[in-house]
Amino acid sequence: MRLAAGGRIDRARRIEFRFDGRVFEGHPGDTLASALLANGVRLVGRSFKYHRPRGIFTAGPEEPNALVDLRAGARREPNTRATTVELFDGLEAASQNRFPSLEFDVAAVGGLLSRFLPAGFYYKTFMWPAAFWEKVYEPLIRRAAGLGRAADAPDPDQYEAMHAHCDVLVVGSGAAGLAAARAAGAAGARVILAEQDFELGGGLLVEPAHEAWRTQTLLALAAMPDVRLLPRTTVFGFYEHNVLGAVERVADHLPEPPPYVARQRYWTVRAKQVVLATGAIERLIAFPGNDRPGVMLASAAEAYARRYAVAAGRRAVVFANNDWAYYAAFALKQAGIEVAEIVDVRPETAKAIATHHHGIPLSLASEVVAVAGRKSVAGVTVRPRGGGRARRIEADLICVSGGHDPAVALASHTRAPLRWSAELAAFLPGDPVQAERSAGAARGVFGIAAAAHDGARAGAEAAEAAGFRAAAGFALPLPDEAHHTPIQAFWEAGVPGKSFVDLQNDVTAADIRLAQREGYQHVEHAKRYTTHGMATDQGKTGGIVGVGVLAKARGATVEQVGLPTYRPYVTPVTWGAVAGREVGKHLTPTRRTALHHWHLRHGGVLQETGLWMRPFYYTATGEAGWEPILREARAVRRAVGICDVSTLGKIDVQGRDAAVFLDRLYTNTFSTLPVGRARYGLMLREDGIVFDDGTTSRLGEQHYLMTTTTAKAADVLEHMDYHAQIVWPDLDVRFCSVTDQWAQMSVAGPKSRATLQSCVEGLDLSNAAFPFMAVGEGTVAGCPVRVFRVSFSGEMAYEIATPSYHGVAVWEAILAAGRPFGILPYGLEALNLLRIEKGHVAGSELNGQTTARDLGLERMLKKSGDYIGRVLAERPALNAPNRPRLVGIRAVDLSFDRRLRGGAHLVEKPGSSESLGWITTVTFSVELKRWIGLAMLRNGAARKGQRLHAAFPLRNESVEVEIASPHHVDPENERVRA
Amino acid sequence: MSAPDPRSTLGDALVPGRHGAGGEAPVLIRERRMEAVQVIARRERVDACAAAVTAVTNIRLRGPNRAIYRGDLMAVWVQPRNWLLLRPWIGGGALPSELRAACGENGSAVDQTGGKAVLRVSGRHARTVLEKGCRVDLHPRVFAPGSAAVTPIAHLNVVLAQADDAPSYDLVLPSTFAESFLEWLEMSAAEFGYEIVQGNR
Repeated sequence: MRLAAGGRIDRARRIEFRFDGRVFEGHPGDTLASALLANGVRLVGRSFKYHRPRGIFTAGPEEPNALVDLRAGARREPNTRATTVELFDGLEAASQNRFPSLEFDVAAVGGLLSRFLPAGFYYKTFMWPAAFWEKVYEPLIRRAAGLGRAADAPDPDQYEAMHAHCDVLVVGSGAAGLAAARAAGAAGARVILAEQDFELGGGLLVEPAHEAWRTQTLLALAAMPDVRLLPRTTVFGFYEHNVLGAVERVADHLPEPPPYVARQRYWTVRAKQVVLATGAIERLIAFPGNDRPGVMLASAAEAYARRYAVAAGRRAVVFANNDWAYYAAFALKQAGIEVAEIVDVRPETAKAIATHHHGIPLSLASEVVAVAGRKSVAGVTVRPRGGGRARRIEADLICVSGGHDPAVALASHTRAPLRWSAELAAFLPGDPVQAERSAGAARGVFGIAAAAHDGARAGAEAAEAAGFRAAAGFALPLPDEAHHTPIQAFWEAGVPGKSFVDLQNDVTAADIRLAQREGYQHVEHAKRYTTHGMATDQGKTGGIVGVGVLAKARGATVEQVGLPTYRPYVTPVTWGAVAGREVGKHLTPTRRTALHHWHLRHGGVLQETGLWMRPFYYTATGEAGWEPILREARAVRRAVGICDVSTLGKIDVQGRDAAVFLDRLYTNTFSTLPVGRARYGLMLREDGIVFDDGTTSRLGEQHYLMTTTTAKAADVLEHMDYHAQIVWPDLDVRFCSVTDQWAQMSVAGPKSRATLQSCVEGLDLSNAAFPFMAVGEGTVAGCPVRVFRVSFSGEMAYEIATPSYHGVAVWEAILAAGRPFGILPYGLEALNLLRIEKGHVAGSELNGQTTARDLGLERMLKKSGDYIGRVLAERPALNAPNRPRLVGIRAVDLSFDRRLRGGAHLVEKPGSSESLGWITTVTFSVELKRWIGLAMLRNGAARKGQRLHAAFPLRNESVEVEIASPHHVDPENERVRA
Repeated sequence: MSAPDPRSTLGDALVPGRHGAGGEAPVLIRERRMEAVQVIARRERVDACAAAVTAVTNIRLRGPNRAIYRGDLMAVWVQPRNWLLLRPWIGGGALPSELRAACGENGSAVDQTGGKAVLRVSGRHARTVLEKGCRVDLHPRVFAPGSAAVTPIAHLNVVLAQADDAPSYDLVLPSTFAESFLEWLEMSAAEFGYEIVQGNR
């Protein structure tokens, strides 16, 4: 119910929202949880395993119960904590894990079967037969145990990354965080203050007495130009080198993000120093029924009353083991909520007198042993600890406080040890490992004034450690009353029953004991066996309670048992934020040649090849299937074609030792190459396997231009860098990639010379003056070009290179010159068809497993002089006579429909399972008018002329093939020299 | 027949005018057509190579993380013994040959004019936009006019130099990836609004 006065909500404005289809109203400043409570909604979900009714347990990100499907359609976000969702107009949320309705859930009868769902039930029940694991058990478990449903449409929103640097990062904006930020900012440090809530202030938001200090501090911070305040920002991980990750929920509080605005921003923060002012999280107490709607952390009930002006119930019982819970009781009383009784497990408390003043009955040395009511608390049963007369108290709200755990997750990510404090009955951060320090409640310094002083100290120290001189002080809150009776560690009421230590994963204290009995004694084992602390809340409210129960069962101390390792993320992060802009085609960058837009405008069908976009073919109207590819290939064989080969790797190599370097890099010799000539070169890896090939030209005595395959360009450059820098630093050789500098085009076909002779100026292209493998310079349409007479297609061919900014001009000039001969642009498919016909190896044969000999390239291995890979290429196994060798294959059947497939195995007879080799690549030959291909075949040379079968069992295909030379076309290599 | 004017690398992708959100301080994005030469000093010839560059350009080459702006010229260290020299395209395209002649055997002067695209990004929000992808600290206390970095942005190897404290940044990109980078830049700048500006100054 909404209280008549108070709170930080804007009562003048109303916000309409829906929960499970019902329409409610709230105010700006509400969370979904506070607005639901204000409307009297207490049952908000069903639990994970037992489908027990659950309510709102906390008022913050530690919430285990109140998880909802937020929004609808493509924006639906499951498992959203209602306690952190800022209310917005038109908000739509639905409860989870119930069928057909929240009030009446069929699967809740599973609760009656709960004795058959013990700890480790996955391992015990779903054991055998193994064939059932994926088909039966997993779907069953997923169906029964899943919470929300993910959206199945693509996320319409954008996310982005942000990189930030600062001298001091302050995590948390409570009293400690604000004071730390101000101290560091005043010293002149660049400060980032990150706060997960939408309002800055942390615990100050429930302390009206300190509101003036909060406001004043925020004004001071806003006036500092190098202090950046980041509300709605969760720091989720602390990584090596003081790198922290955070997510800013930029537009989650709006129905949808404004145009051009990212919904969430993923921050990577590099901080010289970090102040962790992350506060503390109140812990639960295990007692039967401690999960019923109406059972809530004491601090949460206080936050609902003070911050949101909401009474979480009419009549409350507070069950505690520490003095801080009394403040919550007093706050409830002050807000007009009846506090029926405070039940304290301790025999005495310094707060007894104050309690009496407030007119609140107090039972010391007592415990709650039962809760009445199923879907909502109706009362509690209280008895003296350890036994005695039990009595029932009517109440609809049970405020639980088992103490406070400093939020040490981020400190723990740094591998800083945790230290057990018997005095506080809590783990505190130990000595820092990275450049960080904790402050305030995060290191067990509780209370507004104490935390503020601690924060100011930490902020000043951090600034000094980052190289700044701390400035004079500023006003801090006055100390609170200091008389406290120490907390008494108390994990569990001393009665049997369903006492939960993990509300989200439905783990009870009995489950922990069962794990211990069954041998899972180590805290990491017990955690996994019971799934304790493995839910999305990571056991923030009950983690240590489970440890306490385990410690007792083992007869050990909590300190000895310890906590399981903390790992990122502190709270769940949406996958969209992690992906940022890198979704869809932006997953990788796209590489475009200088001719990219020409291809697009002229019917080019572009596809990805690695990062490059390359035209596969150019379509004309009415063409289908292979028609354009065959048309382009025929143009090259009969007349002339032009192909964009700008993607080839190009490396400029210069220096007095350039020739020596290339002689060692390639298996063949380049020092003997005359200036103005090109030569085909083969490279091995150090292990003797073929690495790459390409043509390299000598442009000057000390100047070479290498080309590599498109796929291996970066690898070859890295290989060269390694050898030049590490292996042979004495060589005077310098090189750099010039791949992007040059647009390069292959002009191929019997009419290629005639075409180029009518457009290239300043270079005699006659066969005598410019033979096969000649290199020269000229101009085309006034643009400088380099001309290389090399061929990949097997036809007479030239490659023309021009600075990429002239690429389109040169390309169009050559097309115009070739028009009388019927020139056509051809794409990657035709290029591949032509090279298979010619029997040139490419990526599918240079696959990282083949040797020069396997590929029939043994003549490329020079007899004298060293080169990379020489020694290891001589290993016997790499020279075994029965290794698969490159052969050509041709379909016996001429039908286009009886196609060959890359990857098919070559077998003696159809149905045979003894593979003699495999097909690396296939095409439909325009010269032989049948399917042909290249293959790696055992005893390949000896099998020429034999017939084998190409088996492709995936499609149940088998095609008869004839083994041939890989050079299907012009084996004598006459055309290229014509 | 004289060579035609070089085509802009991003001419097909840049749409002049205002884009993205409205706002008083749009990010200004402009392609600078520049000659680019990669000067690589030969083994044990770093000083002689640097002297040759100074003789032609009056620029004294400096080490990592520095860009030198002198008149129209810009020089930036890109990797050990490697510098990039850039100058707005003013017709002749003479910078590569001038540097090649000057360097002689002391260094390679490799023409990269077609291999690089240069984007000038400026305005009040320019820094924030770059921080969406750049891991280098660009705060004025750390990164000022004359500062430079060779650093990945949007998966790409980018040479980033600050030209003035508007602030204006020059981004030297591999030309084949320039359009891909522009897509990232436009997405990142859209929340502030951006303007594609024409002209080579």
